This record gives sequence, structure tokens and C-alpha cells, in this order.
Amino acid sequence: MFKLLLHQWKEAQRSTFWQKSIALNILLVIIGLYLLLNVIALGYFADEILQKTYKDSNVIDSYNRILFYFFSFDLIVRFLFQPLPILSIQAYLSLPIKKSTLLHYPLVKSVFNFMNLLGFLLVLPFFLKVICHTQSPLYCFTWFLVVIAFIAANNFLTFFLKKYFTKKPALIFLILGFVAVLVYCDIANLISISDSFSEMFSFLNLHPVLLVVPIAMATASYSIAYHLLKRNSYIEDIISRQTRRIGSFSFLNRYGEIGDLIGIELKMTLRNKRPRSLMMLGAVFLLYGFLFYKEESLNDYYILIIAGVLLTAAAAFNHAQLMFAWNSSFFDSFLVNKISLKNYIKSKFLFFAVICIACYFITLPYAFISYKIALINTAVLFYNIGITFFLLAYASSFSTSRIDMGKGTFMNYEGMGISQFLIIIPLFALPSLFQLLFSSIGYPQYGIYALGITGLIAIACNKFLIQIILTQLVKRKYKMAVGFRQK
Amino acid sequence: MIQFSNLKKAYGPNVVLSIADLTINKGECIGLVGNNGAGKTTMLSLLLDLIEASAGSVSSKGELVSKSDHWKTYTGSFLNEGFLIPFLTPIEYLEFIGGLHGKNSSDVKEFLHENANFYTDDITAKKYLRELSAGNKNKIGILASLLIKPEILILDEPFANLDPSSQSWLKSKLKKLRENGITAVISSHDLNHVTEVCSRILLLEDGIIVKDKNNTEEMLEELESYFTLI
Repeated sequence: MFKLLLHQWKEAQRSTFWQKSIALNILLVIIGLYLLLNVIALGYFADEILQKTYKDSNVIDSYNRILFYFFSFDLIVRFLFQPLPILSIQAYLSLPIKKSTLLHYPLVKSVFNFMNLLGFLLVLPFFLKVICHTQSPLYCFTWFLVVIAFIAANNFLTFFLKKYFTKKPALIFLILGFVAVLVYCDIANLISISDSFSEMFSFLNLHPVLLVVPIAMATASYSIAYHLLKRNSYIEDIISRQTRRIGSFSFLNRYGEIGDLIGIELKMTLRNKRPRSLMMLGAVFLLYGFLFYKEESLNDYYILIIAGVLLTAAAAFNHAQLMFAWNSSFFDSFLVNKISLKNYIKSKFLFFAVICIACYFITLPYAFISYKIALINTAVLFYNIGITFFLLAYASSFSTSRIDMGKGTFMNYEGMGISQFLIIIPLFALPSLFQLLFSSIGYPQYGIYALGITGLIAIACNKFLIQIILTQLVKRKYKMAVGFRQK
Repeated sequence: MIQFSNLKKAYGPNVVLSIADLTINKGECIGLVGNNGAGKTTMLSLLLDLIEASAGSVSSKGELVSKSDHWKTYTGSFLNEGFLIPFLTPIEYLEFIGGLHGKNSSDVKEFLHENANFYTDDITAKKYLRELSAGNKNKIGILASLLIKPEILILDEPFANLDPSSQSWLKSKLKKLRENGITAVISSHDLNHVTEVCSRILLLEDGIIVKDKNNTEEMLEELESYFTLI
């Protein structure tokens, strides 16, 4: 087992993730350290934040209540991003290593993943600073054990959720939806699970024998994951885990070459892990309205514009920033076959527009909070379709790295270059600049109209803009194709 | 039909292919042979406009392949896995390629029926292309290139990874196509396959055509002695 774990260390150390430019590596390390420091700081100052936010409550009770939200959110985030390390045993299956060791290996390996580290770093400062200083040794022990048990249970339950997602997606969506509904009901004060969760710690402190329950919960989740691996440990099971049949979209055939190309884009998105996960992440952004649309921010046009961009374009943006790189593993097929590059760009444009429009209608009910939201989101929608798409398409033509679509999204920057990072600035800054300009002359609402009208003009000029992208693509296609062929 | 004029491909100072003048006539079946790194795939890639020439040009039916897309309407090709769309099923892929040439699902079915001896159930099963074996992936690529009823056929190592009976099938298919006047350029490491199918053989060495002769016993002997001596 030790040797296997050593392989994991080597795998991480020698990952192609680090084979980028030194500047990009330094940037990523700085961002990573900054995030970790933020997490530690959040854990360390949690008592002060809670004291100010919930003045009437005991800090530990408030923290314990928040743990309920944390573990619920953690489970959903893990489902979306935590990689399933099942494939890591494939290379060892034919070697003289006991099968049970091989099956325990990915489970033990998963203990060292980033999500567990994140959870641990979030609770440890609070534990050392507050719990240890104010509570009895028994309470400290109980509290720490329960928290670790929940982190472990979430970690191993993710195996189950991810594995069964390929077989019974509806069931898994139901489970995750149920968790989301519970959290929502708690926030809306319909039921109070977080209070019960908080009381559980005191209850376990009074009845320590019941500590066997969280321990059993963690052990059971490990056992479920182990047996799941055991049942699926033959190579054919490992490989077929990715095999899922999703619609043929034959109705698109009637729209000619563009319809066929949109069909390919749809199948590519739904049948491959990375684009699918990115799209699902985009769906999470649809909930951002609950964060942004507060009473105090409804008069702040800047916040409403940023929210509008996130709500109506995050899913499309996630996908479109790697617009051409998604096709890297079969780009040659597009070059040698009778496919018009103009239609290829048009299909990307329509795909982007359809996602934006779908997100727009899904988030339209936020307009019940304020009519301004509908107005701004409409303007932003036009802007995104008319301007954002073409900015992204232009930036994407500089991407020359091949993408492995079977990999997860978490900390995966394959296909991302400096242009993809830089493009984020104008995407958010340009709409705000419109606003700044018109606010400075005293007509903030005209900034919204200007944004929408600019988008509409760009949509009307789409043929011209597509021609610009086409010229760029023709100019760049050899460089892109050479890069895409590098495995 | 296909004309190479002063064609050169170089990576920095390293020239990997240099063809001063070469004409491939309609109905000719060219066999490209040479050792690893001789420039066979580079030549085919330039012919398909997959890489940019450092100098010179390739034209097909009088049109430069780098300036016009018209050649794609009558050229079938398969060089490697990069030509396949990995998340489609074989049938979906063939329908997609066929669709680009105005063929519908029933045309594809009919085509598969006509060529049923070339593939196994694995191809018609609901598997994605990425899940097929190397041999079956090759078969799909070859079938897609034949599906469009090409006037020009370009294949890189088509016999690699194929079982003996599929190799035989492919050889007889290529012979039949040659009789029907198709123009083909096929690279291979197996001299027997090339000499059995092709009418003219080009031997490449370090990016230069060192032999260009019709397929005769004499040429075969020359090639055998070349590869033995080397």
C-alpha cells in the first residue's frame, strides 16, 4: 500500500499539469496558496465573524449550524468536481498484488484529495482556537470526531454518487436535489435542520456512547465504496463506466450542415466528462441570483450587471472559452472533410446563443424580485450573444493545446492559455464601462439601454463578425492543428 | 490530377520533405514506401492541407489545396485516429460523414451492407469510437473514406492493425477501385501489400523521392534489396 501511495505522489509530482510555462505555474501556485490562506483565515476568524453576524447566539452553536450547510454543499461540490480514482488501479490489476489491497488503495488515496484538505483546514483553526479553549476534553473529542466522520462520509459517498450517476442519473439527481431542498427549507425557516444538527453535538457530548453512530456512518460509507469497487474491478467494468447513451438529436439533421455540427457539439458536451461537468457547473451559477439579488444591491447597477452576466452567460462562457480546443482530438477530421469553416463557426455561435437564451429564461423568475433584473438581463443577453461570443471565439483561436475530455474539471487547466485568462477582464469590464460612462453623466439606466443596443447591433452584424473569426481561423488553423495533435 | 510543385516542408533548418516536381495522373494508384521518418505521412498531410508547406504547392484538379476547399468534395482520406470523432458511435460517425456528401441513413446502411465482410458486430454495436480496438478504428476510418465514393483516395498505413482476412478484403477492394479509375495514394511498410495493389511506387528517403517507378518485378527486386541493404 505504501508503494502504491508513493506512486500517487510521483503521479502528482510528474503530472503534465506542471509542464506549462514557469510564469503560469508561479501564477497558479500563488492563486492556490492565496486560496488556502483564505480558507485558514476564514476558519481562524470564524468566531469573530459569527459573533458579529449572529449577535444573540452562542458562537459554537452558530458554527455548528453552519457546518450543516457546509457538509451539504461539500457533498454537491464533491459530486461535481472530485475525481473518481477508480481508473488508477487499472495498471496494477495484472500484477501480483492482493486484490483487496488494490481496492483499498483508491479509497485510501482519496483521503488525501484537495476537498478533504479544504474541509480540514477550515475546521482545524476554529477547533484549536475556540473549541479547545472553551470546552471540556470530552466535547472537544466528540466535536472533532463528528466533523472528521462527516468529511470522511462525504468523501466516500461521492464514490457511490459518481458511480451510480452513470447508471441511474435520475436517482442521483433526486438525492442531490433532496439535499438542496433540505438546505433551502432550512434557509427559508420552513424546517430547522441546522438547529438539530447543532444540538447533535451537545447531545453526543451527554451520551458519548452514541459516538458509535458517526463512526458507523463513516465506516459504512467506506464499506459501500469498497464493495462498489469490488463489484466493478474488472477492466471492462472500469472502462465501461464512461459508456452512457444519450440522445441522437436526429431532429437537428433537418438543419443541414450547421444542424449536424450543433449535434456533434451537443454529443461532445454530454458524452464527455469535462465539458459535461463544466456545463453542470454553469447550471450552479443560475443560483447566484440568491446571492446577488438582495434588497441593498437592487439599486446598484454594477452588481446587477455582473449578476446578469453570470446568470445568463456563465454556462455558455465556461464552454465557449475552449470553443475550438474542445475539438482538438478530432480537429483534423474537420479539416479534411467537406465542412465549411464558416458553418463551423456559425454552429458554435448558435450553440452559444441557445445556451444563453435558455439560461435567460430559466433565470427570468428573478424578475419577481425587481423589474430591473429582467431589463438588465435582457440587455446583457444581447450583449453576450452579440459581443461576448466573438471575443471568446477570437481568444479561443489562440488555444493550441489538446484537451483530454475524459478528465475532470477540478484544477484542470488543460487547453487554458493566457488569452483565456485575459479575456475575462473585458467580458466583465466592458459592460461596467458602459454603466460608468452613463452614470457619470447622471443617466445610469441609459447605460443598460446602450449595452443592449450595442449587443443588438452586433447580432445584426453577425455575418461580418463571423467573417472576422473565419479569417482568424484560416490564419491560425495550421498552428492550432499542430498543437492539437500533440498528445 | 495531383501536382506537387517545388514542395518543401522544413522545421527550422531541418528539411523533412522536398519534392521538386511530381504529377499523379488520374487512375494511378501510388504506393508510398520508406523507412520511419522518411516523410510519407508528411507528404500525405501536405496533400490534405493538414500542415502548411514551407515552400511550393500541391494542387488537385488544377486547384491549390491550400486555397480551395473543393478537393474535399471528391477526396476520401484516413491518416490516423485524429480523423475520427471519439464520442460518436461508428454509425453516427459514418452518417455524419455521409451527410456532408448528401447521403442519408439508408445510404449508409446500404453501404455497410455492401461491405459487410470488412467489419464485425463491434462496429454496429452501440459503442463509442473511443471504445473500439485499434483495428476496428482503422476499419471505420477506411469505411468513411470509401463511403463518399471518392475520386481520390488517400490512406496512411491502411493495413496496419488489420487481421489477415480484412487485409485481403481491403486489397481486393482497392484493386477494384483502381479498375474503376480511382486515383489513390497509399503509404505502407509492407512491400507485398503495396506491390499487390499499386500501379506506381515512390520510395522516400530523408524527405526526398529516391525512386519513382511503375510497379514491376524489377522495381520489387530493387525495393527488396534497398530495404535489405539498409
